Amino acid sequence: MTSNTQQENDHQSIAARMINNENFKTIGDISAKKPRMVCKNVNVHYGDFHAIKNLSIEIGKNEVVAFIGPSGCGKSTFLRTLNRMNDTIDICKVSGSIELDGVNIYDKSIDVVELRANVGMVFQKPNPFPKSIYENVIYGAKIHGLVKSKADMDELVEKSLRKASLWSEVKDQLHKPGTGLSGGQQQRLCIARAIAISPEIILMDEPCSALDPISTAKIEELISELQQNYTIVIVTHSMQQAARVSNRTAYFHLGKLVEVGNTDDIFNIPKHKLTEDYITGRFG
Amino acid sequence: MTVTISKKIKKQQKKAELAKQAAKKLAKRHRQEKNFRRIGLAAVLMGMLFLVILFTDIISKGYTAFMQTQIQLTIDFDSNRIAKNIAKNKETDGETLYNGNYRKLVSDALYAKFPDVTKRKDKKLLRSIISTSAQYYLRDLAVTKIDTDSRANDSNDLQRNIAIGSGKSAADAESPSAVQYQINSQYVGQKQDIWVIADDLFDMFHKGFYTAEGAESERLIKDNYVTWYNKLLAEGNIRTVFNFDFFTNTDSTNAELAGIWGAMKGSFYVLLVTLLLSFPIGVGAAIYLEEFAPKNRWTDLIEVNINNLAAVPSIVFGLLGLAVFLNFFGLPRSAPIVGGIVLSLMTLPTIIISSRASLKSVPPSIKDAALGVGASKMQTITHHTLPLALPGMLTGTIIGMAQALGETAPLLMIGMIAFVMSVPTGIFDNATVMPVQIFLWSDLPARGFMVKTSAAIMVLLAFLITMNAIAVILRKRFERRW
Amino acid sequence: MSAIQPFANSYLFLLLIVISAAGYFLSTRRAVRSVAGNTSQLHSLPKYFGSYTAILIFCPAALLFFVWSASQNSIILNLLVEQLPPSVFEQANFNLNLFLNKVKNLTFNAVPTSDEAVIAAAQTYVNYHNTSGWLMFAAVLGLALLCFVIAYNQLAPQFRARNRVEFLIKCFLIICSIIAIMTTLGIVTSVLFESFNFFTLVPVTDFLFGTQWAPGPTEHAKYGAIPLFAGTMLITLIAMLVAVPIGLLAAIYLAEYASSRVRSITKPLLEILAGIPTVVYGFFAAITVAPFIREMGESVGLDVASESALAAGAVMGIMIIPFISSLSDDVINAVPQSLRDGSYGLGATKSETIKKVILPAALPGIVGAVLLALSRAIGETMIVVMAAGLAANLTANPLDNVTTVTVQIVTALVGDQAFESAQTLVAFALGLVLFIVTLILNVIALIVVRKYREQYD
Repeated sequence: MTSNTQQENDHQSIAARMINNENFKTIGDISAKKPRMVCKNVNVHYGDFHAIKNLSIEIGKNEVVAFIGPSGCGKSTFLRTLNRMNDTIDICKVSGSIELDGVNIYDKSIDVVELRANVGMVFQKPNPFPKSIYENVIYGAKIHGLVKSKADMDELVEKSLRKASLWSEVKDQLHKPGTGLSGGQQQRLCIARAIAISPEIILMDEPCSALDPISTAKIEELISELQQNYTIVIVTHSMQQAARVSNRTAYFHLGKLVEVGNTDDIFNIPKHKLTEDYITGRFG
Repeated sequence: MTVTISKKIKKQQKKAELAKQAAKKLAKRHRQEKNFRRIGLAAVLMGMLFLVILFTDIISKGYTAFMQTQIQLTIDFDSNRIAKNIAKNKETDGETLYNGNYRKLVSDALYAKFPDVTKRKDKKLLRSIISTSAQYYLRDLAVTKIDTDSRANDSNDLQRNIAIGSGKSAADAESPSAVQYQINSQYVGQKQDIWVIADDLFDMFHKGFYTAEGAESERLIKDNYVTWYNKLLAEGNIRTVFNFDFFTNTDSTNAELAGIWGAMKGSFYVLLVTLLLSFPIGVGAAIYLEEFAPKNRWTDLIEVNINNLAAVPSIVFGLLGLAVFLNFFGLPRSAPIVGGIVLSLMTLPTIIISSRASLKSVPPSIKDAALGVGASKMQTITHHTLPLALPGMLTGTIIGMAQALGETAPLLMIGMIAFVMSVPTGIFDNATVMPVQIFLWSDLPARGFMVKTSAAIMVLLAFLITMNAIAVILRKRFERRW
Repeated sequence: MSAIQPFANSYLFLLLIVISAAGYFLSTRRAVRSVAGNTSQLHSLPKYFGSYTAILIFCPAALLFFVWSASQNSIILNLLVEQLPPSVFEQANFNLNLFLNKVKNLTFNAVPTSDEAVIAAAQTYVNYHNTSGWLMFAAVLGLALLCFVIAYNQLAPQFRARNRVEFLIKCFLIICSIIAIMTTLGIVTSVLFESFNFFTLVPVTDFLFGTQWAPGPTEHAKYGAIPLFAGTMLITLIAMLVAVPIGLLAAIYLAEYASSRVRSITKPLLEILAGIPTVVYGFFAAITVAPFIREMGESVGLDVASESALAAGAVMGIMIIPFISSLSDDVINAVPQSLRDGSYGLGATKSETIKKVILPAALPGIVGAVLLALSRAIGETMIVVMAAGLAANLTANPLDNVTTVTVQIVTALVGDQAFESAQTLVAFALGLVLFIVTLILNVIALIVVRKYREQYD
C-alpha cells in the first residue's frame, strides 16, 4: 500500500516536472482538417486553482475527438468550457480564446443560450427530466421555438429517438416518465434530447461511465453513426473506448494537453513518456 | 507446604473476591444503565402527559359550549301587547309592530308561567333567565323587515354620507319606500310555544358548572332560581340543541350569544393577506439567494439575518407594525391588511428557509440537463427546479401559515384587540382574529366566557391540526429520493 | 365601518390588467408578423415579446396606482388644512386633529354633526377626493399607454426580449430578498427612533438601572426597568428548569434508546406541543395551572399569589420542551457513529457512552439549542400576559407575583394613551432591550450550531 502510494507520488512529481515548465509545448498536431472549433491558449482558474494551463487545440468537422487522461487532469473541465457550462460556477474564470466557426464564444455579445443550442451536451450520469419521454425530447426544441404544430413535434420526437436508436424500444410509452427507463436507455434518451435541437457539436462527458457493458456497446455504436452528421467531443476514462470510437485523441495531464494526434498513432506509437505510461497502464 | 497451600487458597480467595467485586460493579453499572433509560423514558412520557393534560383540560372545559340551552315559553303575540294603539292601516302597522315592545312578551310569558312570583326583585331575577336576544328573535318572527335599498350599506358614496351626517336629507336615508315590513300572521295574534335562548347563568347552571349547595347568601344560584329551573325541567321546557349560533354569531357582551364567526372571518382575511404577500416574496427571495446570489460576505450576512429574524420575538414585529405601518404610513388600525403585513414579515423567514432547503434538494444534474440543451438560467428554474421544489415550498408555507394563524402578540400591538361586533367584509374593515378573540374572552369574568374560550381554542386547534396534517401529507406524497 | 377606502378605484386596477393583457397580445402578434410567421428568425419566443410589453405596462402603472392611493388621503388632508377659513381656527378649544377626525367621520361613516365648518370642510374634502380620483385615473392610464408605446416600438426581430424579461424577473427576485433585510432594518430603525424619543423624556440610566417601576400619566411616574428584567429572568429560569432536563432527556431517549416505531409516533406528538398557539398556553396557565399551584401551596401552608411566576414559568417550560428536544435530537444524531463504536468497543454501556462520549461531543450543539430556547422564552408574550401579573415586584420568590418586559410592552400599547407620552414610548425602549438581548442570544446560538455542524460534516 504505502510503497505503491509512494511510487505514485514520485511519478506525479516527475510528471509535474516534465510538463510544468514554461517551455512545455503540446506534442503532435493540434490542428484539424476542417476546423470548426479553435481553442487558443485557454486557461481556466477555479479560484486559486489553475485547472487548465495554456491549452490549444482544434476540433474539426465530423470528427470524434476523445479526451483521455488520469482523473483530475482537467479534461471534463475543458469540455465544459466548450459550451460555457462552467458559467454556472461563480469562481470559475476562463481566459484565452475559443472560436466556433470564427466567433469567440466568450465574447460579450454571445448569448450562452444560443451557444448551448449549437453545442449540445450529454452528461456523465443519465439525467432525464422527471417528465415524460416525449417532453424530454421536445423540451429544447420548444424553448428555442423550433417547432410549432403538434405534427412537427411528433415528427421531431420520432426522428430524434430514431437517431438515438431508442425509437423501437420506447415508441409505445412516449408519455411515460423518462426516469422509468433503464440506465442505458436513459442515456440514449439524453442523447436524443441533445440532438433534437440539431446542434453542430455534441459534447459527451464520460457518457458510459454509469452504464453496463451492453448499454455501453450500444452507445458506442450510436456515436459512430452520429459522426456522419455531428462533430463529437467525448471525455472518457476507458482507453479502449477512446480507441474504438474516436478519430483523434488528446491526452491531458495536470491541466495540460500533453499529446494529441490520430487515435491510431496515440495508442500505437505514443511520443511522450507520460502518454505512454498512461496508455500502457503504468498509472491512472 | 501448608504455607504455600494457604497462599494458594488466599490467592484464590482474593481472585474470587475480585470477581465478586467486578460482578458487583457490573451489576451496578447495569443498574445505572437501566435507571438512565428509565429517566429518559420518564421524560418522554412527561411530555406526552403534558399534552394529554392540556387537551383534556381544554376539551372538558369547552365541549359544552357546542350545546345551547333553550327554554320553551308560551308567547302571546297579541298586537296590542306589542304596540299600543295600533292603527288599522296595514303598512304602518308593520313598522309600528316592528318597533314594538317584545321584551314585554317575554316577561308576560314568564309571569304567566310562574304566577306566584310577585316581588319586584324576584320578577327581575325571573326575567334574567332568558337571554336578551329573545326579544329580537320574537320580533323577527312576528315581522319581516325587507330592506330593498341596496345603497344603504354603500359607504363609498361620500356625498351621501355627508348629506346624511349633516341631517340635510334624512328622508332620503330612511326612505320609507325602501324598507318594507311584512307581518307574519302565523304568529301575530296567536299564542305559540317558542323555544328561546336561555341566559348564560341559566345555561351554566343547567350544564352543571354551578351548584346550589351551601348557604344561599354565599352562592350565585339562589333558591327560587333552582325552583324555577326544576319546574321548567319537570315540564319539559328545557332542551339543549347544537349551538349553531357559536359558529354564526360575532362577539357579544352576553356570553350565551358570543360566537366566533367574526373572528374566523377576520383570521381568514389576515391569513389571505399574509399568504398573498409572504408566499411570492418568500419564494422569490429563496430563488434569488439559492440560485443567483454570489456566495460572499453579503449573502452570508443575509443568511444570518434571515435565521435571526426567524427567532426574533413576535412582539417586536408588532412594534414594527405599530411604528411603521400605523404611525408612518397611516394604515387603518385593527384592519386585516396591517395584521397580514406584520404576520407576513414574521412568516417570511420560515418560508425562505424551507424554500431554500427544497430548492437545494433538487439535484444539480437536472439543472445541468436543462442548461445543456440551451435553456437559460431563468427557464431552468421556472421549467424544472421550481416545479420540483414546489411541494417542499408549499409544506413550509402551510407551516408558516399555521404559525401565523395562532399568533396573538403582534396583533395586539396594532390594535386588533378592539371589541368588534360586525363581521369584516374586506381587508380594510375593523376585525379581530381567533387567537385574539380567545385572549379577549379569557379575560372576562363570566363563566360562560371561560367555556366559550375553551371551545374557541378547540376550533383553532382543529384548524391548526388540519393544516399541519395537510403539510405532512404533502411532504409524504411528494417526497422524492434522488 | 372602514375609515379609509384606498382602493376604491379597483376598477382602474382591473382596467390596467386588461391593458396589459392587450399589450401582451399586440406585441406577440407584432413579433410574429415582423418575421412573416417564421418565428425561428426571432431572437426569443414570441411570448417573451408579449411578456416584455405587459410587464412594462403593468409594473410602473401599478406602482403609481398604489403610491397614489396610499398617499392621497394625507395629501388631501394637508391641502384641506391650508384651505380652511381662519374663522375655524378661532373657535374656542380648537384642536386640529379632533376637527379633522370629525371631518373624516362625517365623510366616511356619515357620523352626524351639526358643526357647519365641519360640513363645509367635508364638502371640500370630497371635492378634492373626487378630483384626485380623476387625476389618478388619467395619470395611471397615461403612464400605461406611454410605456406601451415605448415597449412596442422596441420590438424588432433581433430584440433580446427573453433576456430583458429575465432581467426584470431577476430584479423582482432581488427586491424580494432585500425585503428580508429591510425588515431587520425597519425593526432596528423604528424601535431605535421611538426609544430615543423615550430617552429624551426619561434618562437612559434611570431606565436601565432604576428599581422602581410605576408608569403613569403623572410626573411621579417611574420607569426603572430592573424589576421587569428580574421578573423576566425569574420566569425564564423556571421555564428552563422545566424544559431543559425534560427536553434533553427526551431527546436522548428518542435518539439512542427508542425503536424507530416509537420514535415515529412520539416525535410528532411532542412537536404538537410546539405548534399549539401561545394564547392557548396562556389560558391553560391562567385558568388551570395557577389555581392548581395556589391550592397546592395553600394546602402546605404557603402563601401563593394568584398570578405566580411559577405557573407562567412552568407552562412556558412545557411549551419549550419540544424546542429543546427536537434541536438536541438533531445534534445528537449528528454525532458520528464511529465515536459510539469506539466507546462500545471498550465495553462501555449505552448510558456510559451517552454520558461520557456523546454528550460531551454534542455539547456545543446542545448549548446552541438551549440558547435559542432561552431567547424564545425571554420573548414569549401571551403566556406571561395572561398568567403573570402586572405588579413590578423585585423578588426571587417563584410563588410571588412578578411582571416581565413583554407584559409591560403590551400594557403600555394596549390602551388609549397619547402616542407621544413616556407611558407609551417606554414600550419601544423595552422592545429595544428585548431585541438586542435576543439578537445576541440568537447570533451566538447560530454561530455555535453552525461551527458544530461543520465539525462533523
